[in-house]
Amino acid sequence: MTTYDTSHIRNFSIVAHIDHGKSTISDRILELTHTVEERDVSKQMLDTMDIEQERGITIKSNAVRVMYAADDGQEYQFNLIDTPGHVDFTYEVSRSLSACEGALLVVDATQGVEAQTVSNANLAMNSDLDIIPVINKIDLPSAHPEEVKEEIEEDLAIPADDAVLVSGKTGEGIHELLEAIVYLVRPPAGDAEAPLKALILDSYFDEYRGVVATVRVFDGVMRKGQQLRMMALGDTFLCDGVGCKRPLETPLAELGVGEVGYVVTGLKDPSLVKTGDTITLADRPCAEACPGYHEAKPMVFTGLFPIDNKQYENLRDALEKLRVNDPSLTWAPETSVALGFGFRVGFLGLLHMEVVKERLEREFDLDLIATSPSVDYHVFRTDGTMVDITSPQDLPDVTRIDHIEEPYLKAKVIVPPEFMGAVMQLVVEHRGETGNMVYLSEKSVEVHFDIPLAELILDFFDQLKSRTRGYASLDYEMGDYRTSDLVKLDIMLAGETVDALSFIVHRDKAYSMARGLCDKLKDIIPRQQFEVPIQGAIGNKIISRSTVRAVRKDVLAKCYGGDISRKRKLLEKQKEGKKRMKAIGSVEVPQEAFLAVLKVDDE
Amino acid sequence: MPSADGWEPRLHEAGAEALYLHVPFCARKCAYCDFASWATRRDDPLMGAYEAALEREVEEVASAGLLGACATAYVGGGTPSLLGERLLPRLVSAVASRAPVSELTCEANPESLTDALVEGVARSGCTRLSIGVQSLRDEELEALGRVHDARLARERVGAAVASGLDVSVDLMCATPLQTDESWDATLEGAIALGVGHVSVYPLAIEEGTALWRRYGDAPVAWNDPDVQARRMRRAEEALGRAGLARYEVASYARPGRCCEHNVAYWTGRPYLGLGVRASSMLAREGYERLRRVATSLPALPPGAARVRLTVAGGREEVAERPSLAERHWDLEVLDEGQAAAEDLMLGFRLSSGVGPALLGHARGALGAARVDAMAERMLARGLVRETAAGGLAPTESGWLLGNELFGACWELAEGTIEEIRC
Repeated sequence: MTTYDTSHIRNFSIVAHIDHGKSTISDRILELTHTVEERDVSKQMLDTMDIEQERGITIKSNAVRVMYAADDGQEYQFNLIDTPGHVDFTYEVSRSLSACEGALLVVDATQGVEAQTVSNANLAMNSDLDIIPVINKIDLPSAHPEEVKEEIEEDLAIPADDAVLVSGKTGEGIHELLEAIVYLVRPPAGDAEAPLKALILDSYFDEYRGVVATVRVFDGVMRKGQQLRMMALGDTFLCDGVGCKRPLETPLAELGVGEVGYVVTGLKDPSLVKTGDTITLADRPCAEACPGYHEAKPMVFTGLFPIDNKQYENLRDALEKLRVNDPSLTWAPETSVALGFGFRVGFLGLLHMEVVKERLEREFDLDLIATSPSVDYHVFRTDGTMVDITSPQDLPDVTRIDHIEEPYLKAKVIVPPEFMGAVMQLVVEHRGETGNMVYLSEKSVEVHFDIPLAELILDFFDQLKSRTRGYASLDYEMGDYRTSDLVKLDIMLAGETVDALSFIVHRDKAYSMARGLCDKLKDIIPRQQFEVPIQGAIGNKIISRSTVRAVRKDVLAKCYGGDISRKRKLLEKQKEGKKRMKAIGSVEVPQEAFLAVLKVDDE
Repeated sequence: MPSADGWEPRLHEAGAEALYLHVPFCARKCAYCDFASWATRRDDPLMGAYEAALEREVEEVASAGLLGACATAYVGGGTPSLLGERLLPRLVSAVASRAPVSELTCEANPESLTDALVEGVARSGCTRLSIGVQSLRDEELEALGRVHDARLARERVGAAVASGLDVSVDLMCATPLQTDESWDATLEGAIALGVGHVSVYPLAIEEGTALWRRYGDAPVAWNDPDVQARRMRRAEEALGRAGLARYEVASYARPGRCCEHNVAYWTGRPYLGLGVRASSMLAREGYERLRRVATSLPALPPGAARVRLTVAGGREEVAERPSLAERHWDLEVLDEGQAAAEDLMLGFRLSSGVGPALLGHARGALGAARVDAMAERMLARGLVRETAAGGLAPTESGWLLGNELFGACWELAEGTIEEIRC
């Protein structure tokens, strides 16, 4: 007794180049299917976190169900699945896409196919989705839909005869789009009688109900009262209810084959619920889990230190609270001579780090310093033992190191052939080794390569996007560990080594990095009462230097009667600025200095 | 030489010791100017109406008993000399006849400081002229957007000195086209004119000015902090040699020629400001007296020790509704600790620094340990030195790095300052 025959279900996501109208089209769909009333359509219904809305990026996956009464007189269930949009969340994206059968590829009628159109289309095609080209903004006078259709066919090798012409602004064509979804996206397949098999797309923690997971049911049925099991992690739980978002949570009697919705697990420990895991029946498990699960391991580690050491406990509490909705967060206490007590925190990538840091500062009112990112190195000591090092400070003395191994990634980039040279060069510059190349079509090549993770986390992705003018899409998985000639670069301010500024770098790059970093720090550290020499060193050897000149004069000279309030306000501002700086010895160092390594132009 | 040694807490002072009148009219707006002043034609009837309004307001504050102990007055701008031979002496008389002032300064610019005007204001009770010279190089004056040239400046300052009034000139350093040599020449020129007082300001590119529109926040070579520091030092050397001692960050005077009015600002003496955007600083009792005539002012919250008031509204508003009852104000209400921190900050502007009286009061109001810790820190950094009198005085680097020193004082204040618009 499934709720719906799967022939009435359509699961799809919307992919687009930035600003081509993904969110307006989502909003229109919600509106036209009366899922929300027009006046309630807040911009970008699906992105709910502040930071998501501000940055225009999606971090959490989300699924909204709309009911559509089609022209054929039948009612269809559409599940619109929103996916994260950044390489840090590649894994989450792949999980979300695997829950869909179709994708709407939105292209701006005035701008045509753009970089992200290509990379997103590639992701969707890799996931074997039925793709409906949607040409948006046809209300604009400069729209040229016919040419855009040709571009879609030529650049993406996607037939565009059936492309739907819409205007997210006026609503024109949205009805036709909904009809196209009915006819062009295949209904989900699956066996309603088989044991339950449901994929976890995402989860969040609710104080009262425990972990609530967004799931896609592939086989069987999920309902309240079932005893369920996480296949990878093994924990069992009593299903405390199921439902779907419309877009508010709406309880349902059950989730049947092909449906997307949420399940209330009642689990109080968020780390028991992992994206990509499969939920099945405890007493009658399915034969095989959904493919592709792996534990989302932290890739990047940075130190997070409160500027004011009194906030250490608050930082710990804040991390605990964040982990509830972000189980991928890991941390361990870390001590720095320069920065005091803090934590070494593991992240999925740099964007993840930025988002977490921003949330900690904003939602928990903390002022934090993040230190240079590091990966997990395997350090083999001369005594034959091996240690995992995620912080440069923990590196043993050089004399006790036999060799160091660093993690490599197996990566692939899909890119139009004309950018192939640029990609190869970039890979080589980042110590990567290129492997085979496969022509997917006349318009796209897949380049395989191995690259040290440490290189990828710094600026590889940004550079890749800029050197291919955004056309490249990147996908990667963890590879093996390989021996590399790595050294610790120390930075000294006014003659004192600042441990929090140290980082591990390949010997061949140490000199240019040290030079670049000294120059960058010179610009970032404000002039102080005394001259501040900045030096880069490997061991005892100084390999680069720069100097912050002493400030000679900063006085607010003129001070009439009416000026006093104004001067006082300027001093207040100065005080606020100082709060965001860390005094290291006698040197006032701004927060961003500790991440300067990310801003070094590596030439 | 004035000193902060005579500092005393003036929390119960009933009136103002200084009176400021603002004249928001100029022949032209200078490129660096962010003061409340607007280019005005000499025949604009607004000037007459505005002057009359100020006269009326002076009468009102006098009737409220605020000027009984008022020792100095200052007519500033803008360009008060633009008011001309009829209006400016009237305004000066209005003040001199209602307050027992021993020092009454008028600001002037060379192009409007006629012999007749000098004579007129002197006869009406003016004792001091502060003349905006800025530079004695034509190309530099032009780059600043000044109306006058160097020749006129020399000639008019000379005439003012000859009149027997105390004369001060304002000079500006780190300006476009200025060199170390041209700056020295300007300084020597001013000294040669025989003035008793010089103010030296490094040019600041303030938001909203013509210079700001041109240069914005980008660093400019001619205004580099190193250049400013060097020119300030050269000024101190040249003026010092000529017998003009530096008694404040930006002020130099021959013995007995300090501007007592400005010293009032820096030593916590209550003052009253009338006219567009003019500011006042009053203790509780003085504020209560002002409320008798400025009826829109609210009662003070308990714990208020000091009030800073700024007149809100434009020139027309003052001219058209010539009464303090019609004024609107921006208020800042400070408690005793905040007032003490302010006094420390201002005290360090003076060469005499902060005397034992103020230091003792600040230790009481802000906590002895905190004040002492601040003093230790500033001593260790070489920004202040101990004086024979048992106080603290700024060093050369304390003056150059004034923001560090003033900032450290102001940081002693706790809580936020209450702001009121009324």
